[in-house]
Amino acid sequence: MAGSIEVIKAGLETSVQDFPGRYGFWEQGFPPSGPFDMWSFRLANILVGNGPEMAGLECQFMGPTLRFSDDCVIALTGAEMNATLDGEALPQWESVAVAKGQTLACGFASVGARAYLAVSGGIDVPTVLGARATFHMAGVGGVDGHALKDGQSLSVGEGEGVSGRQVKEACRPPIANGKEWRIEVVQGPNDDWIAEEGIERFLEAAWKLQARSNRTGYRLEGPEWIFADKASAKGPEHGEHPSNILDHGYPVGSINLCGQTPIILVNDAPSAGGFINPFTVPSAAFWKLAQSKPNDIYRFKRVSVDEAQEMRRTIDRLCTEDSIA
Amino acid sequence: MRFDEPKFMPGGDQFILVQFGDDGSIDLNFLALGLTAALKEDATRGVVDTNPSYNSLVVEYDCEEISYGDLQGELERLIGGLGSVEELELESRLAYIPVMYLDPWTRDCVADYSEKITQREYDPDFVARVNGLEDAKQLARVHSGTEHWVVAVCSTPGLPLLRALDPRCAITSPKYNPPRTWTTLGAIGVGGLSTSIYTTPGPGGYNLIGRTPIPLWDPQQRHPIFKDRVVLLDAADRVKFVPIGEEEFDYIEARVADGSYEFNITAYQRFSVGAYKKWVGSLNADGRF
Repeated sequence: MAGSIEVIKAGLETSVQDFPGRYGFWEQGFPPSGPFDMWSFRLANILVGNGPEMAGLECQFMGPTLRFSDDCVIALTGAEMNATLDGEALPQWESVAVAKGQTLACGFASVGARAYLAVSGGIDVPTVLGARATFHMAGVGGVDGHALKDGQSLSVGEGEGVSGRQVKEACRPPIANGKEWRIEVVQGPNDDWIAEEGIERFLEAAWKLQARSNRTGYRLEGPEWIFADKASAKGPEHGEHPSNILDHGYPVGSINLCGQTPIILVNDAPSAGGFINPFTVPSAAFWKLAQSKPNDIYRFKRVSVDEAQEMRRTIDRLCTEDSIA
Repeated sequence: MRFDEPKFMPGGDQFILVQFGDDGSIDLNFLALGLTAALKEDATRGVVDTNPSYNSLVVEYDCEEISYGDLQGELERLIGGLGSVEELELESRLAYIPVMYLDPWTRDCVADYSEKITQREYDPDFVARVNGLEDAKQLARVHSGTEHWVVAVCSTPGLPLLRALDPRCAITSPKYNPPRTWTTLGAIGVGGLSTSIYTTPGPGGYNLIGRTPIPLWDPQQRHPIFKDRVVLLDAADRVKFVPIGEEEFDYIEARVADGSYEFNITAYQRFSVGAYKKWVGSLNADGRF
């Protein structure tokens, strides 16, 4: 049933997101936003009986403490957040009935980095440019355009929840604290600006995720890049550094080479700019980015466009009722 | 230079980049914007979003609706239908944007950078010098002497990339290195081939030559002009900068704040690339205002 949620503690960065986010305004400079780990997000919604697209919360590193004004059904998926409901451990990947007045308290993410909270009926914030997703760099969507703040109140939409459902073990993203991730990449669009030995070096190297990473971009640390002749023999309008190119659109997921620093452009990234993108991380690998932590190691595996699309289909098939026990 | 055939490059599982050529020739942007308009007109199946820029267009697609290969085929078909660049006609509104050139706020911003990061000449003096102009006053005259073409609205919401349509007013300049850590909101900057207008007070690399008191976007949608659209400009619009003094700046700023400012945007013209190129061909390209 409809009601409200009181934000007692907002957590480190808790934002309202919907799936797939904000579309149709890219050419005015709006990124898609939306949940970073779209796999965990959709399963949380499906668990409580919502449509997979409905607005829920993305909770980063340290989750929120929330009090519910009315009975509802919730589900927490994604990172392990060590959450309690009125002091009792809350099982994740399961839909749980919450009684009026109960308090959910999330802790630090002990496995993974981002958890997703779905509430039956969805979070009811106004749609801005067709979406409820928060793009907080620009103050658009969500609650007043930003991550949640202590003391706010969130409205919940109408919707009957279903409690006592679980996501089958095999249908969940395999989030772990392995510290080393295998991330798929599709070569291009600007791979011809990198020398062949530079392409090989990128694919063989261990890349460390820097702490200065967020929903805009994931900065990586690793070996020097080796540019193709083309990167230096170019017109002055492209800029001075080999990684500079005349401004062009940035695919979401592209690995943007800014000088010698690769930055994976993610959900809230700038739509365009003047640096090359030699590789692109496909959408099906985004959940791994979302669930990794600073200092984790990435190793990249080259896949074809067809393989990347097949990976996406595999995850889409897992984000359905068939995954629910 | 325009490629004989456009190049198609993949971006992950859901993007395709179409590149018409490899330089900043404005014809390449006309083609990118012509293709963007054609995609909308055609309502091509599977196309989710578009993102045009200087000489290219990124198309986002749904691989459940259309394959990479089939989308490339559709794009080739639409590009074929565009004809020659001279045949292109684009919807193009004209926006009048008031600017105080050589204003005190961007002067302070440049001075702050000089003091805290690295010593540099006052930006308008520098840009005038590298473009062979007499002084900053001539820079303001030249910069406001043309309509500017909106190449793209990109990077962050509402941020326009503009270039002079009149070749007698073309200005180029190197960007800051290292970039500024902050920029005055509404600053007019020039860098590379472009002019831009800072829509957020964030970092930046363009040389600052003036400031506008009017907002280019408003996520709160307070003013009626932002009721149906959050940003002021679209790619293929044109901008005419209207020089104003400080008194006028303050007046407009107050009217923006109380919601009574009347935005001046006309929408009764289409932009004919052929007619434009014919006009450019008739000019004395060495002339300067």
